[in-house]
Amino acid sequence: MEYVSPEGLRLDGRRPTEMRQLRAEVGVVAKADGSASFEMGNTKVIAAVYGPREVQNKGQQMNDQALVRCEYSMANFSTGDRMRKPKGDRRSTEISLVIRQTMEACILTHLMPRSQIDIFVQVLQADGGTRSACINAATLALADAGIPMRDLVTSCSAGYLNSTPLLDLNYVEDSAGGPDVTVGILPKLDKVTLLQMDAKLPIDIFENVMQLAIEGCKAVANYIREILLENTKQLEFRRGV
Amino acid sequence: MVGLSLGEKNFIKGGIAQDIRTDGRKRLTYRPIFVETGVIPQASGSARVKMGATDVIASVKAELGKPNASHPDKGKVSIYVDCSPTAEPTFEGRGGEELSMELSTALQRCLLGGKSGAGAGIDLSSLSIVEGKVCWDIYIDGLVVSSDGNLLDALGAAIKAALSNTAVPKVQVAANASLDEQPEVDVSDEEFQQFDTTGVPVIITLTKVGRHYIVDATAEEESQMSSAVSISVNRQGRICGLTKRGGAGLDPSIILDMISVAKHVSEQLINKLDSEIAAAEACEEE
Repeated sequence: MEYVSPEGLRLDGRRPTEMRQLRAEVGVVAKADGSASFEMGNTKVIAAVYGPREVQNKGQQMNDQALVRCEYSMANFSTGDRMRKPKGDRRSTEISLVIRQTMEACILTHLMPRSQIDIFVQVLQADGGTRSACINAATLALADAGIPMRDLVTSCSAGYLNSTPLLDLNYVEDSAGGPDVTVGILPKLDKVTLLQMDAKLPIDIFENVMQLAIEGCKAVANYIREILLENTKQLEFRRGV
Repeated sequence: MVGLSLGEKNFIKGGIAQDIRTDGRKRLTYRPIFVETGVIPQASGSARVKMGATDVIASVKAELGKPNASHPDKGKVSIYVDCSPTAEPTFEGRGGEELSMELSTALQRCLLGGKSGAGAGIDLSSLSIVEGKVCWDIYIDGLVVSSDGNLLDALGAAIKAALSNTAVPKVQVAANASLDEQPEVDVSDEEFQQFDTTGVPVIITLTKVGRHYIVDATAEEESQMSSAVSISVNRQGRICGLTKRGGAGLDPSIILDMISVAKHVSEQLINKLDSEIAAAEACEEE
């Protein structure tokens, strides 16, 4: 199948190095300590953060750092065909773990010993790149909760189809079976915290694809920073500063 | 979890007794309702309803299926509710399952009527395509994104809005099908037909706190309830379903009183919902 037309346009009309439309909102779940929704095109996720608070299961308490937990769940209506999967299938467990490890790397856990931070991500619409969208939403929610972090973590995916590196794959491109590189970076420290790829790629092409994904992450980081700044300004205004 | 001190509990109870609740509402006043339709593009119909800090999404998906052998001339509707852990950390893992089941059964009871489909809010015969062979299976999924009490009413309202937003494709049946074969069906991509949602009831939950009962309780008020009765009422003012929750017993005369109050409140709620849904649809078309 042709994923990039001779004119250089993708199935949804984007250029190869173009991202989908980003949209984010902070404070969507009123009861949570921090929350955010994040949209990448038709992919839409909500993240909520509870904590830092008392550890619920005393056996897991750590005396030198905070316990970070994460749960990823998909709504029944999030996919094209309606699914009814039991909670905690292998795929969601794996993604929960990935998100937890990525977020743990940037939270200053040593500042909050003997406490627990819960991150819940809920996929409302899945159209490829839910992993990246969840990480971006979780970053925003953590920032909204005021949890101390080293840096923002942002994530984006890139792929390689029809001999073209493509940024931010949607569901159709993702299920084409080509390589899919998901990258998560700390934009200010310029470090990679998450790197996943399936399928195979020659090393020199992989470098290009990864570079493209990193560029995507940086664009997301700029957008997230804008949203946070806007949110802070609003809070400032409400306080009457 | 709601953690309240003795003083706060007394404040909530005292306020309800004097007809001024903690957020300034009267006993029978709802929080402002916000409706947004068409939030899930993949679904046949969807809606999001916000009541204060309570936020729920309902989606409707129509699939072709086979009717039940006992009711060959009727389609099938099923309702599932899921409680997302974003709403409350205790819903993590299997923690939300109990509440999800409770809400799903209550909604089924309120909206779907008896086993035969008689008295259902949705006309099940209209879902039949070829008698005994093909019919529409309607899957209604609810998701609780944020919870601040009164989930059942919010879910009921979201489902009503989602159904009125639903467009089911028109179906052509090949005429030459013989009796035993599975008939060929042609699902149209362009022509859709709207649901008749005038019969879909609204759900009113009356929560009893102390000697009085209130509508649209917040999570804090719900923590002080002795019992709650959910009544579904349709446009004609008929009672379509009833569920009682909570431990304490109720005097039968109080239940009858509650029903008449619910009937009165339902008129306002239906009108409010209708105008909100119409506004949301108009907003979506723009």
